[in-house]
Amino acid sequence: MDQTIICRCEEVSLQDIQNTAITYNCSAREVKLRTRAGMGYCGGRTCRPAVDAVLEAVTGEKAGHDIPMKVQPPVRPVSLAILGGKMR
Amino acid sequence: MYDVVIIGAGPAGLSAAIACRESDLKVLVIDEFPKPGGRLLGQLHQEPNGEWWNGIKETQNLLDQAEKLHTEITCGVSAHHIEKTEHGYMIHTNIGVLDTTNLLIATGAAETAVPIPGWTLPGVMSIGAAQVMTNVHRVRVGNKGVVVGVNVLSAAIARELQIAGIELHSMALPISNPVTKNHANPRHVMDGLVRIAHLAPSAFLRFGSKFAKSAWVRNIAVNFYPKSGVKMWGMPIHIRKAIVQINGTEKVESVTMCDITSDGEIIAGSEKIIDVDFVCIAGGLYPLAELASVIGCPFQYVEELGGHIPIHNEQMETPLNGLYVAGNITGIESAKVARAQGTLAGYSIAKNIDKIQQAMKDVKSTRDSASIQFHPDIVEGRERIHRSFQTYEKAQ
Amino acid sequence: MMTNRILDHPVLGKLENQKTVTFTFDGVPYKGFEGDTIASALLANGIRQLRVHEETGAPRAIYCNIGHCFECRVTVNQAQGVRACMTSVEENMTVESGKLQAAPFESAPEEWPRTYAEFEQKNKGKKVGVPHV
Repeated sequence: MDQTIICRCEEVSLQDIQNTAITYNCSAREVKLRTRAGMGYCGGRTCRPAVDAVLEAVTGEKAGHDIPMKVQPPVRPVSLAILGGKMR
Repeated sequence: MYDVVIIGAGPAGLSAAIACRESDLKVLVIDEFPKPGGRLLGQLHQEPNGEWWNGIKETQNLLDQAEKLHTEITCGVSAHHIEKTEHGYMIHTNIGVLDTTNLLIATGAAETAVPIPGWTLPGVMSIGAAQVMTNVHRVRVGNKGVVVGVNVLSAAIARELQIAGIELHSMALPISNPVTKNHANPRHVMDGLVRIAHLAPSAFLRFGSKFAKSAWVRNIAVNFYPKSGVKMWGMPIHIRKAIVQINGTEKVESVTMCDITSDGEIIAGSEKIIDVDFVCIAGGLYPLAELASVIGCPFQYVEELGGHIPIHNEQMETPLNGLYVAGNITGIESAKVARAQGTLAGYSIAKNIDKIQQAMKDVKSTRDSASIQFHPDIVEGRERIHRSFQTYEKAQ
Repeated sequence: MMTNRILDHPVLGKLENQKTVTFTFDGVPYKGFEGDTIASALLANGIRQLRVHEETGAPRAIYCNIGHCFECRVTVNQAQGVRACMTSVEENMTVESGKLQAAPFESAPEEWPRTYAEFEQKNKGKKVGVPHV
């Protein structure tokens, strides 16, 4: 097991993800909900493919044709001021 | 209401804008970065014929053409959501909502993360980050560094750092883990290097020609890979050594390098500490398609093209009415291909029937003569995407 | 001093007649070139670290440098979460690094700081930037 950080935003390690995937026999989505990997500031943009790779190694689940862990808007952090119509 | 909004002012987006302005469409190009040019800006390499490919100059050429045609380009604009409407698309940005009939997504690619121990320390950056700092901002990323990840992109950018006078100790593989797997496997890396050798820039060609194309010679090359590495531009490239740890407390102070077997396993007792103040990590590129995803464009995973690709046809149309894609979002290829695809997408949007056929030919000929090719089976991957488009259209 | 500047490049040529801008980072004034991003201007001055991880205090700097990873987020003229790699540096800009934040779940509820001042008092002298891998 390995302390290498996979999700930089939430500091979730390879070991956290492997353990979670093994213990709960998780889907990528469930790993995300349980560990917060991919739930941080960057919206999973950096670690999403990495989390998928760990899952594939543990459960054999390959990424399908859909974008892994479906992209949700907003795809950038956006302030309420901007949503409310204030520019920039 | 615009006729077309183009997201991404890189080679694809700018070329598309120019092609659309030729037909006098109302065009707006937006980009998140303060300057137009995208990743083209940082590119700097010598072509096999000896000429320099200078991304800043190439960008300026495109901008000059765009300006002549009075093209509206706004930088510093981030799109965070897109909605399909009855008449086109609504793009939600930090400067408000943009309405457009047609939409071209030309958001390019992002780098695949290669997590290794210590990679969150200040001084560790993606290889593309170093390229932008060095060639666009003209800032040295450090005094002495090491490149983790051996592939065509990292070799090209390592050379750019050298040209700028930045010392590199060597290039080596990342430690093997479930994420780094292929990047950490000497056999896999060697296969990649040999397959691109004949297409790669000059010094790379010399490097690649040391190894024949047959599998058994590659096998010998991996098994008897020189301990001191193979030198390229005076810098050792190691495929039998891995960076297993980046060390430091407040910032990068050193890396730990180990010898590895031909399968990427660490050889015990071979650790060496190398003092460096920066580390560049290279995991290759994948298409950046999140905006196509939020609109609901269908995707296909195509390894040869670098990841999940929005389904599109040879004219760069997606199955969604008025939605087009061009550049690296459609597959990882060189900036020249992106530029040709952008022109094609622009003519498609403008329904400039006279020019579409020629533009399609130009994309193909640019691809065939590309000096840097990221995957040997690009053409096959492209054909799969185009077939998927046809299948999808039939099913609708 | 912008000691990390590549003023003369064998292919791209010399950097000449650059206009400078003055800005502050955590209260210290620095000079950058017009056209610099906050990240490039700081690195030109030898500054790598832009924030600490909110919970662990681990030091962070640019990673992707093209706006995807958000590792370089800083506070600019009091607006939080601004990417230093995507934002042009401007004259008189006030840039603040990202700081450690209250992590109440580390300890029992009765030990939680009730105010930010209490939190700061508790963390006084606590070493931030613990190495971890």
